[in-house]
Amino acid sequence: MTLSKGNLFANLAAILVCFIMIFPVFSTIVLSFKQQADVSHEPPLLFPCNTETEDFNLTACRFFVEGYERIISPKEDPDTLFGYKIDGRIINTYLPNTVFYTISTALLVTMFAGLAGYVFSRYDFPGKHLIMIGILAITGIPLLTNLLALFQLVVDARKFSAPFYEAWQASDTFSEDTITSMRNWQDRILLVMIYVGFFLPFSVWIVKSFFDAIPLELEEAAYIDGASPYQALTQIITPLAMPGLVASFLLTFVGVWNEFIANYLIVGSSKPALRGAIVGVYDLTGNNLINYQVLAAACVLVMLPVVLVFLFTRRTFFNAMTEGAVKG
Amino acid sequence: MHAIRRQSGFFARIFPFLLLAPALIFIFFVQLYPGLYTFYLSTRDTEGAVSKYIGFKNYDLVFNSAIFKESVVHTLIFLVGYVSLTLIAGLLVALVLNRKLRWSGLYITLIFIPWVLSDVIVGYIWKLYADPGSGLLSPFFALPILGLNGDPLLIASPPESYFEGIPFPPAPAMYYVIFAAAWKALPFTTLLLLAALQTVPKEVTESARIDGANHRQLFFNITLPLILPTLLVTLFNLTLGGMNGVGMIFSLTGGGPGSATEVLSYLLYSIGFGQLNFGRAAALSVVIFAVNLTLIILSLRISRSRAELI
Repeated sequence: MTLSKGNLFANLAAILVCFIMIFPVFSTIVLSFKQQADVSHEPPLLFPCNTETEDFNLTACRFFVEGYERIISPKEDPDTLFGYKIDGRIINTYLPNTVFYTISTALLVTMFAGLAGYVFSRYDFPGKHLIMIGILAITGIPLLTNLLALFQLVVDARKFSAPFYEAWQASDTFSEDTITSMRNWQDRILLVMIYVGFFLPFSVWIVKSFFDAIPLELEEAAYIDGASPYQALTQIITPLAMPGLVASFLLTFVGVWNEFIANYLIVGSSKPALRGAIVGVYDLTGNNLINYQVLAAACVLVMLPVVLVFLFTRRTFFNAMTEGAVKG
Repeated sequence: MHAIRRQSGFFARIFPFLLLAPALIFIFFVQLYPGLYTFYLSTRDTEGAVSKYIGFKNYDLVFNSAIFKESVVHTLIFLVGYVSLTLIAGLLVALVLNRKLRWSGLYITLIFIPWVLSDVIVGYIWKLYADPGSGLLSPFFALPILGLNGDPLLIASPPESYFEGIPFPPAPAMYYVIFAAAWKALPFTTLLLLAALQTVPKEVTESARIDGANHRQLFFNITLPLILPTLLVTLFNLTLGGMNGVGMIFSLTGGGPGSATEVLSYLLYSIGFGQLNFGRAAALSVVIFAVNLTLIILSLRISRSRAELI
């Protein structure tokens, strides 16, 4: 393609848009490597590279990892593998929580959406259209309006299970630490189940559209060869539907990783041990004395994994989203 | 649509329902039951130790509170600004990228990065920008033409309202929230509209061009009508997302200054989990839910391609 005048203009416009979309992320990364003196410098500095005579001198750049140190807070501890232990709650508690919530929700959603999407694509039964439209309508319902009831459900579940824990504690079946951790795991699992129910409807539709694209003849050939419905599903259809399942996994992954309000309100505000990374970052600003390079470092640490996942799998994202929105 | 396959045997007949069961059970417990329970809760006074039935009094209290009316206006201002800004910007970017530029793939990847960030993180990124003194945009906000009179953007109080009791025009922070939200929503909107633009058949635009249509006629008479369904679905999606997104308000303004950026979703949080008045918050939930449902039904009606798919 030749670079006509119109295309030159279009390229410039596209580069400008890219700049607007990327620059805030980039400058947050730069901010996270500044020291306090440069953070509060007036007028504000993009790069901490000014000298008394020059605005920008590459050799004068002052980059520090102070922000990350404050988030990670490594402490010397000869008992651990590398001689350090990590004291920062974002790293030692909140990020592992997020990883657990994210991976387990994405796996369960993908599995259940795969099964349901297959049925919707291949079987016919009374009430099917109604159920499908219902599920499509539910994709627009936010977590927000159900939060009060879900909160109440979790409280009820805690009340229901409390006598068991008390009995175990009274009879010394488990130590107190074990019981605390069991109570926490109960809440974590409940939160994952809430996420599964919330992210399922969208994934069902994504996966169904991928199943629809697989020719029925392949299955029929399998039946002729004597396969059972179960074998046809696991050995013929599932491998072909893999791109759809991967898309469901990734979209759920990003959604749960970034979820804030349910994690914060249902479990996180009362129990810090259950907070995910986003709630952890929000928690940092609870006291207004937070240094900006520290907040920026926390933001970078929390957004980095999900940005990397996206960059490596972007084609799947684009396919799934245009598939679901324009065609579906 | 695929053919029905009839198989004999009890297992073969219940097989599809077995596969469907886990999804339906989860959707029931997380979406349907809580919806019904919220409605039940909205008819009860939960402030005492034991809740009691009070009919629709909670709705009365919500509708007649000053903060509710104020939040409705804030929400409307936010939605109009956010949806129109995102749609127009998204359409312009999609039109640029639709020219099959050599680096289109790279552009769309870079443009898409804000979409994978959390609302809360996006709020912090823009909050850091607006910080008086150290924020990179603070010299810009201090320009006299913006009329902030040296007040920090996120703290400046709203101008005197034109109509009594209606918070219009909004506080400067509201424009900033709208901008930040549009920044985050732009990638997705662009992607959807780009996909719609790519379905416009080349033959149609080519023949119109041969017939002497200029760029503007081509856009308004050919392209726009063809992508209108996607445009409308996107409009409804943005409205739904904008009405229910609350993370950015949490991290960027906290509803402030005063209550100038307190939208309905944030009000729901502050009644329910701030004041711990579950009954009244449930009534507000039901109201928001009803609006959501109306939008969803409208969106389903308009998007005929979805209906055909079913």
